[in-house]
Amino acid sequence: MCFMQSVVLRARLESALGERIASPFTDLDRRVSEIVPTGIAAVDAIAGGLPRGEITEIFGPPSSGRTRVMLSILAEAMAREEVCALADGTDAFDPASGIAAGLDLKRLLWVRCHKLEQVLKATDLLLQGGGFGCVVMDLTDLPLSRLRSIPLACWFRFQRAIEKTPTVLVVMTSESMVKSAAALVLRLEMRGTDWSTLLNAMDMNVEILRFRRKRPSISKFEFRISK
Amino acid sequence: MFACIHVPNFSNEAHAALLDCAGVFSPRVENTAPGTVVFDLEGLERLFGSYSEIAEKVAAHVRAAGIQAHVAVASNPDAAITAARGFRGVTVLGRGTEEKRLEDLSLDVLSPSPEILETLDRWGIRTIRGFAQLPAVQVSERLGQEGIRLHKLARGAGSRPLVPHQEALRFIEVMELDYEIGAIEPLTFILSRLLDQICSRLRTRNLATHEIHLALGMDARVLHLPVPVCNPKLLTKLLILDLEAHPPGASIHQVKVEAIPAKPRIVQNGLFIPLSPEPEKLELTLARIAAVVGKENVGSPEVLDTYRPDAFRVKKFGVMSAGSSEIAAKRRQNVAQGVSPGAWLLGISSPGRAAEQISRSAAPAGAGPEKITLAQGLHPGLRSGAAPRLNFVHRLTLRRFRPCFEATVQLRNSVPIWIAFHGVHGSVEKASGPWRSSGDWWRPNNWDREEWDIEVLDGGLYRIYYDVHTDRWFAEGVYD
Repeated sequence: MCFMQSVVLRARLESALGERIASPFTDLDRRVSEIVPTGIAAVDAIAGGLPRGEITEIFGPPSSGRTRVMLSILAEAMAREEVCALADGTDAFDPASGIAAGLDLKRLLWVRCHKLEQVLKATDLLLQGGGFGCVVMDLTDLPLSRLRSIPLACWFRFQRAIEKTPTVLVVMTSESMVKSAAALVLRLEMRGTDWSTLLNAMDMNVEILRFRRKRPSISKFEFRISK
Repeated sequence: MFACIHVPNFSNEAHAALLDCAGVFSPRVENTAPGTVVFDLEGLERLFGSYSEIAEKVAAHVRAAGIQAHVAVASNPDAAITAARGFRGVTVLGRGTEEKRLEDLSLDVLSPSPEILETLDRWGIRTIRGFAQLPAVQVSERLGQEGIRLHKLARGAGSRPLVPHQEALRFIEVMELDYEIGAIEPLTFILSRLLDQICSRLRTRNLATHEIHLALGMDARVLHLPVPVCNPKLLTKLLILDLEAHPPGASIHQVKVEAIPAKPRIVQNGLFIPLSPEPEKLELTLARIAAVVGKENVGSPEVLDTYRPDAFRVKKFGVMSAGSSEIAAKRRQNVAQGVSPGAWLLGISSPGRAAEQISRSAAPAGAGPEKITLAQGLHPGLRSGAAPRLNFVHRLTLRRFRPCFEATVQLRNSVPIWIAFHGVHGSVEKASGPWRSSGDWWRPNNWDREEWDIEVLDGGLYRIYYDVHTDRWFAEGVYD
């Protein structure tokens, strides 16, 4: 009886909404988002790159290569002539390093923040404004106690804001914060350094902790950053 | 028929008044020359009577304005001008009588060039009659196009169209307030209303604005926009954000808004134009972010042309047009050569090739995810210890501490062996330096320092420096 009522109700709703919505009770197919390269060949080969309209989280301790990966992502986006934004949590971005990494600084909107609230607000405004190919939220040097106080709903709100846009949101932290709102999570750590008389290079481990699109066949690899 | 008002001794004020007088009678007024205006009388007979009556009324109106002027009516603008310059008072030339009426006037009223006037004087021609009687072909042969034009004027046979004068458009809205306002919020409604009116006026003329002047009593400010816009909501929001950032110093009793008109932005979109923010939205986003972090903290970084460490400035961010950057040019070159955009850092042609170059090493039992050593495929220098090729590697990047943290450093044989700063402390495992740099010795803010790259026991790689002037150590940043 109850089943019959629900069937009748469904039929009525479908007929009422039929002119406006073709299939109101049909689940939408999951949108297949575009993947853009990171500029790090190993990540691009294994994960394909960064998903547009999704959050990518990169975390690790100091000197783990996070900033280098971020600059590589920005340089790739700028090579595609996209406009990028950096919400810099502790005003730590070095423009000279950016140029050395291949950034076109004219295409970079740099927001120099000094508090967590400023970063969150600025990122929110950047995502709402739209039109950026890549938005980076740099939270790496902010106190962990403050970062842990960010509610999970905040990350889901960001995720919703970019869901149907071509924007890539990259969140950089010192430990994982975004949790299930992130589509791709990369953990970086320093494996060793190469010194002669000078500091020559750092060897890094990169581990793909989460990739929503598919389970990568390879999840851990190494790369080198040279001075 | 056309009427001309001519003031022999004109001034700028008199000229403006002349335009106003002509505008009273006809909407089609030509600003011919300083002190001379011509206007169209066609169809005005029903309103003002015959052409003679119209001419008398015009003369009376001009006299009432305190201007001594001559008024002439003729069938074409040039004949009217010639008559107004040549006859005193009011003159009406009937159709077909222009040549006869103008023949006794001096040649000066035609305003010929000094050379032509001298030539005609040598020929013994000093009145319009003598000049008008000359054959047109011979005048053309001897005096050229200018001679033909003057010859037509002399015969009263000009046939040029009137060029109506258009007032410069000003888009100003003013509101006097009954009570003074001290807060920003009530101002929002007033600005919104004024800008609504201005934008609707702009839209009717297919115009936009790129500059808004806002006067709030004694306080005046200008809002510059990167592109012309005609959106009252956007303009209101930008003005309010500016007022919130820089509140007016006194209470407000009058609000005056003026928009400088500009041609609206014409954009031709395409499927393959790269992603960039819409300029109107971007301006609002920048203003909102500036309200959060400060105007000086939003923009595009620019490295200064100096050796001083961390020398940069933040300039206003603006969206670049597609394809204008050097990197974009490089990318197009790579694409033309069949090279993947992501390959320029590692010197490979495609991610697929990188995958081929990845070699697998044996994963330890229970280690979870399989471990891949990229070094075997891409960086032979990693294992051999040889210096890697520069175009095959990523470069170290510095994260700066702004301002630099003062550090406590212990030295042994002038080499740092222990350091403590801002929560970081421990033995220095490896150190490289000193790298000395100095500059701007002729300025008070000169610098002289010795830089070190160090690896602290906790695994962090830092750049520290010793300031020679202050005899202190600082941590400048971390390699990341």
